[in-house]
Amino acid sequence: MPAHGVCRRQTQKMIPALIKIGILIGGLMTAAAYFVLLERRMAAWIQDRIGPNRVGVPLSLFGFKDLALWGFGQPAADGLKFIFKEEYTPAHVDKRLYVIAPIVILAAALAIFAVIPFGSMLPPLDDFGIPTGGDPVQLVVAPGVDVGMIFVFALSSIAVYGVILGGWASNNKYSFLGGLRSSAQLIAYELPMGLGILGVVLAAGSLNLEKIMQAQVNGPWFAIAQPLGFLVFVIAAFAEAARLPFDLPEAEQELIGGYHTEYAGMKLLLFLVAEFLHMITASFLIVILFLGGWHFPWITGPADAEIGWLTAIIRLIVFNTKIFLVIVFFMMVRWSWPRFRYDQLMSLAWKIMLPLGLVNFVAVAVMQEARHALGSKAENLGWTLMVIVFSWGICIAAWVVAAWFNPLITDNRPRRMLATAEVDSQI
Amino acid sequence: MADSLLPILLFAACALALALGMLGVASLFGPKRQTAVKQMAYESGMDPIHDAHRKFDVRFHLVAIAFLLFDVELLFLYPWAVAGNATAGIDAAVAQATELGIGYSRGLVFIEVMVFVGLLAVGLVYAWKKGVFKWR
Repeated sequence: MPAHGVCRRQTQKMIPALIKIGILIGGLMTAAAYFVLLERRMAAWIQDRIGPNRVGVPLSLFGFKDLALWGFGQPAADGLKFIFKEEYTPAHVDKRLYVIAPIVILAAALAIFAVIPFGSMLPPLDDFGIPTGGDPVQLVVAPGVDVGMIFVFALSSIAVYGVILGGWASNNKYSFLGGLRSSAQLIAYELPMGLGILGVVLAAGSLNLEKIMQAQVNGPWFAIAQPLGFLVFVIAAFAEAARLPFDLPEAEQELIGGYHTEYAGMKLLLFLVAEFLHMITASFLIVILFLGGWHFPWITGPADAEIGWLTAIIRLIVFNTKIFLVIVFFMMVRWSWPRFRYDQLMSLAWKIMLPLGLVNFVAVAVMQEARHALGSKAENLGWTLMVIVFSWGICIAAWVVAAWFNPLITDNRPRRMLATAEVDSQI
Repeated sequence: MADSLLPILLFAACALALALGMLGVASLFGPKRQTAVKQMAYESGMDPIHDAHRKFDVRFHLVAIAFLLFDVELLFLYPWAVAGNATAGIDAAVAQATELGIGYSRGLVFIEVMVFVGLLAVGLVYAWKKGVFKWR
């Protein structure tokens, strides 16, 4: 029965995939919850106050003294609170879209992780009674997807749908304005993000995330080889994840919360978790694309086929430490920078980030063509050093030129005090 | 590729199920107390006057169009970026063309891409001068 055989083989493939999905979704949701706690503790530390440090293990239920544990019970308590909040839909909203919006945004934010590796690989698990056929276990749900980068890019732009649907369906003026503003922000920063990715794809010659990481083993990290692309990508990632200084979508002071003004309870939680997941995704991407994933330059360890437990665990630790540090950087920035004004945000995207991204792309393309023309002569340290010096020169030059022409200059006089010619000259 | 498609679909289904499940659990356990004020749109304590689905600034529309243009142009660059060093990439195509006696070279492809990027840059400058990115 061939059909039966195919079916069985598929089922056997599904089981490891399901286990990985379980680990990943569970891990991500827990991570999101505990990163909220970490963020609140860091906020408290930066603002010189105490922060949530009371909720721990409620042992007083059993007659013992409560255990505070630096507020480690806070995420669980928050989750319970959200479950017991009223799940309510106002009368004036478009009911279907109102419910669909948070579901779309969370499902898309999670589904991105189908192609993102969360570790290198484990040795074959046959010794533990888990049949893996003698192959190492890759720590990614869908291994070997050759269009991984496109998939990530496509799914991350679905976030715009959640935002605009939520803003429109709420039928509230704050939500409507907030939804428009944040969708314009998200699409504007997708271009520099795509250009930053394009430089990496060009240098690595592949859209496969594992191959992009592999390309950073025998050379410098792309953060060092393409500083301009790194800068553009990181700034765009901050804007895409709607983190300060780009958290215009939330804008508590101006729009009462932007597109989720009308949301409460679990639906609001879905939006907030999705926002946090965007930040985690951005950190994964920054580490994978620009900081070498689980590799250090020129330090590879054994080939993938004969990976041992020691290498596997070291790689896991290195990878996740890098991601953790990037997330901490995200949080430090949040409490260090003031928010942009909307016109500054848009002109940064279109007038600075997009041209800089194009400059980076052209520079990388020229270097790649030169390397291809040189062939094997380019396989030495001298060439690598030359590439680094060239790209840093380009980065500094482009930045200086952008600062020199400074299209970000803004006249803060009210518009009624300006002549028409003056308004036009500020374009 | 088809092998890796199935886990992706499975993941998407699980993500959807999680979102729906969270909403379901909350609507199961939460209280249900509707009041007239709760049903109103929130406008900082004022009674809302109109429906919120009204005219909006045309600049959002312009930004969306500019985004579409540049994003599509950007997507055209991805195949070239991947084909540069691939085995069945530009070199193979150039070799094939040379075999057929067509004057084609890697340098020409590169120049074409640069012209394409140049057009992108000209488009950007044009939109800029037209005031598409003006937010005042």
